[in-house]
Amino acid sequence: MRRSSRGIIITASVLVICFCALLVMMFDYHGAREEAGVTYITKGTIDTGAANLVSAIYLNYRLFDTLFELLVFSVAVLGVRFYLAQQRGNEEEVTRIPESQVIRTSADLLFPPILLLGIYLVLFGHLSPGGGFSGGTVAGTGLLLCAVALGADVVGRRFHEPTLERFEWEILLAILLLALIPVLFGRLPFTDLLPRGRLGSLASGGSILIYNALIGVKVFIGTWVIIHYFVRHRGEI
Amino acid sequence: MALINGVTIAIVLFGIGLLGLILRRDLVIKLLALGLVNGSTILCLVSLNARVDGVAPIVHSPASVPYVDPLPHALVLSAIVINFAILALALVFVMLLVERYHTTDSQRIEHEIEGERTP
Repeated sequence: MRRSSRGIIITASVLVICFCALLVMMFDYHGAREEAGVTYITKGTIDTGAANLVSAIYLNYRLFDTLFELLVFSVAVLGVRFYLAQQRGNEEEVTRIPESQVIRTSADLLFPPILLLGIYLVLFGHLSPGGGFSGGTVAGTGLLLCAVALGADVVGRRFHEPTLERFEWEILLAILLLALIPVLFGRLPFTDLLPRGRLGSLASGGSILIYNALIGVKVFIGTWVIIHYFVRHRGEI
Repeated sequence: MALINGVTIAIVLFGIGLLGLILRRDLVIKLLALGLVNGSTILCLVSLNARVDGVAPIVHSPASVPYVDPLPHALVLSAIVINFAILALALVFVMLLVERYHTTDSQRIEHEIEGERTP
């Protein structure tokens, strides 16, 4: 190892260790305070109608943040598509190893429950743990299981991939328009106009349910697009 | 408070990840270190918020149950999604570099780029 690189290593180690020691000493940490988040806990369900306060925050109080989170996700999906579609991967036909009957049968058996679990997580995101992001990822993973059993190109053709990719951007547009609708009624954007139902019922969360469903479909498509482009680049799963 | 709690563990993991990010030359290991840094951030956010007898903030009855603060959990959600997005995009860039230079060693890639620039 050359002398200069050893110097760099020692300097970097010392700097990082000092930085971390400083952080440890700075943190005068005595556990969470009693009054932390008490406003959200006492007023959150009345304000938003959602029992799950986490989704009440990210889909009602801080919907603006979530919008940009979605934009980052969309840009990442777009980047993966753009750069992996530019260069063709393995053009020559990869000889598929025929998958064993066990995997095909178990994929057939498991795909409907996984999809159902994803839909449940999306629809009940405001009442129980879950939400659009986790539900969409669960359903996308189910599609990955199908791709393992049948081959990614077969699944991509079966789900009409170009339509799906256009649909993903239409969903982003729909979320933007939905957030802007309150302007027509003279309110600030990102305000929730829908009525609150009885706490605990499916329709209690106002527009949280709609946002969750849109985000769920979007994340489902985005996950599948990322998986499929990686797989296509490589040839086959 | 004991010295070993979630926050200090998170800071140590952050240091390990940062060192890996600076010192390792392999691009894939750099990405793994970036994932470690992200995980330590999530651990820090969650453990700053933890209580001994805390309950998950899913309110079904307005009783005086010690619910934890839901705000850091919402931040963690954003952190997870954005980390996933960054990792996917960064992996694509690593794949492009490997296709062109046939190595994941960042220093060799830099040398080859300098060689291309000054023929």
